[in-house]
Amino acid sequence: MSELIVWVHGDCLSPTNPALAAYQDAPAIFVFDEALIASWRLSLKRIVFIYECLLEMPVVIRKGDVAEQLTRFAERHEARRIVTTPSPSPRFKEICAALQQKFELEIIASEPFLDYSGKLDLARFSRYWQTAKKHLFE
Amino acid sequence: MRRDFADRDELIRYLKVEFADATALDDHVSSTRGGRAAAERTLEKIDPPRYAATRNNLRGKVSRLSAYIRHGVLSLAEVRDKALDMVRSWRDAEKFVNELAWRDYWQRVYAQIGDQVWIDREPYKTGFAASDYADDLPADIEHGTTGLVCIDAFSQELRETGYLHNHARMWLAAYIVHWRRVKWQAGARWFLTHLLDGDPASNNLSWQWVASTFSHKPYIFNRENLERNTERAYCKICPLYRRCDFEGDYASLERKLFPRKPVDEDWGDRFPPARRNGRKGGRR
Ligand SMILES: Cc1cc2nc3c(=O)[nH]c(=O)nc-3n(C[C@H](O)[C@H](O)[C@H](O)COP(=O)(O)OP(=O)(O)OC[C@H]3O[C@@H](n4cnc5c(N)ncnc54)[C@H](O)[C@@H]3O)c2cc1C
Repeated sequence: MSELIVWVHGDCLSPTNPALAAYQDAPAIFVFDEALIASWRLSLKRIVFIYECLLEMPVVIRKGDVAEQLTRFAERHEARRIVTTPSPSPRFKEICAALQQKFELEIIASEPFLDYSGKLDLARFSRYWQTAKKHLFE
Repeated sequence: MRRDFADRDELIRYLKVEFADATALDDHVSSTRGGRAAAERTLEKIDPPRYAATRNNLRGKVSRLSAYIRHGVLSLAEVRDKALDMVRSWRDAEKFVNELAWRDYWQRVYAQIGDQVWIDREPYKTGFAASDYADDLPADIEHGTTGLVCIDAFSQELRETGYLHNHARMWLAAYIVHWRRVKWQAGARWFLTHLLDGDPASNNLSWQWVASTFSHKPYIFNRENLERNTERAYCKICPLYRRCDFEGDYASLERKLFPRKPVDEDWGDRFPPARRNGRKGGRR
C-alpha cells in the first residue's frame, strides 16, 4: 500500500518532473489517452517520440481511458491521493474533475518561464512582451 | 505496456501493433529521438547570438528543441537559463528568449480559451468571409504533388520528419490559406497529425496568425523572400521558376490574393465593431 500515486502526462515527460521528484518512492503511471490520440489524429512518429521519453522515466505505461486507468492503478495501490503537474489543456481539466470525485489531487508546477502574477494583456503578443520583457531581463 | 526493447526497431515494431490506427494514418518515424538525454544534447548546441542573426534562414542556427519543450522534457525556464548563461549580455540572447516567450504566450491564451483555439478569434482581414474558404485540405498538398518544388518538399518533410523550420511552416500555411483559400483549421489538423511538437496552442494560434483571424493582417510571402531564405535550394530546381504562384512584389500579390480587400483598409490592432462591445481583444 502507498498513500499516493504520481500521474505523469504528456506535458511533462522529463525524469526531472517535479511530481516524481517530490515523491520518489511513489508508484508512477503514464496513460496514452486513446480517445485523444484518435481525435487529434496523431500518427506513429509522435507515439514513438513520447514512448522514448517514457523509457527514461520510472513509470508504468498504459493506454486507454486516462481517468479509468488512473483510478484502477490508485485503487490497486490503495492510494487516496494523486499527484501530477499542471497543463493548460481542457482535456487535463476534464480528467482532473473526474479524478477529484474519488481522490485528493495535488498539482506541482516546475519553475515558470515568466514569474509574474500581475495583470498581463494577452490581446496581442506585443502587449504581453512589453510586460514580460521587463521581468525576464531584470 | 512493455519497457524492455533490444533496440529502436523492436520498439517501433511493437508500437505499430499497439497503435495500429495511428500507424495507419502515417507510419513514418522521425530521426529525432525522444528522451531527456537527447534533449540535453540538443540544448548544449544552442547558439543564441547566431540564432538572432540567422533564424529566418532554413539553414540558420535554430535550436530544434520544440518537441522537447512541447512535451516538457525541457522546461521553458531551463532553456531560458541555459541561453542566458551562454552570453555575456542578455541582449545577445534576447531574440531567442523572445521566441521562447511566444510559446509561453500561446500557452497562456490556451489556458484562457481552451477548445476555442479551434474557432476564429476574429474575422479574416482578407476581404473574404470564413465561408469563402474550403473545409478540406486539397490532396495535392497532403501528398506533395502540387508541382511547386518548395511546397512539395515541405509537405514531404513534415510527413517524414515531424518537423518544419518556422519559416517553412509560415510559407506552407500561407500557401494553404491564402493561395488555395482553405480554412486554416484544415491545415492545423494536418500539422497536428505530423508535428512532433504539435500542440493546439502554438499550432492553431500560429495558423490563426497567418490567416489573420488572430492578427491585424494576413501573412503572405513572395518567391524572392523564399528563395533568399532557402539558399535557392528549391527555386534552383523548380520548373516553375519565375512563373510560380509566388512571383511578384507584395503589393501586386495582395491585389491578386485579396481582390475584395480595400487597399487602404487599416485594421490596426483594433477589432471590427461587431466584436468591440463586451468581448475585448482576444480575452474571454
Ligand atoms: C503554422 C505554424 C504552426 C506552428 N505549430 C507549432 C506547434 O504545433 N508547436 C510548436 O511548438 N510550435 C509551432 N509553431 C512555432 C514555430 O514554428 C516552432 O516552435 C519552431 O519552428 C520550432 O523549431 P525550433 O525548436 O528549432 O525553434 P527555435 O526557433 O529554435 O525556437 C526555440 C523554441 O521557442 C519556441 N518557439 C519559437 N518560435 C515560436 C513560435 N512562433 N510560436 C511558439 N513557440 C515558438 C519553441 O518552443 C522552440 O522550440 C508553429 C508555427 C507556425 C507558423
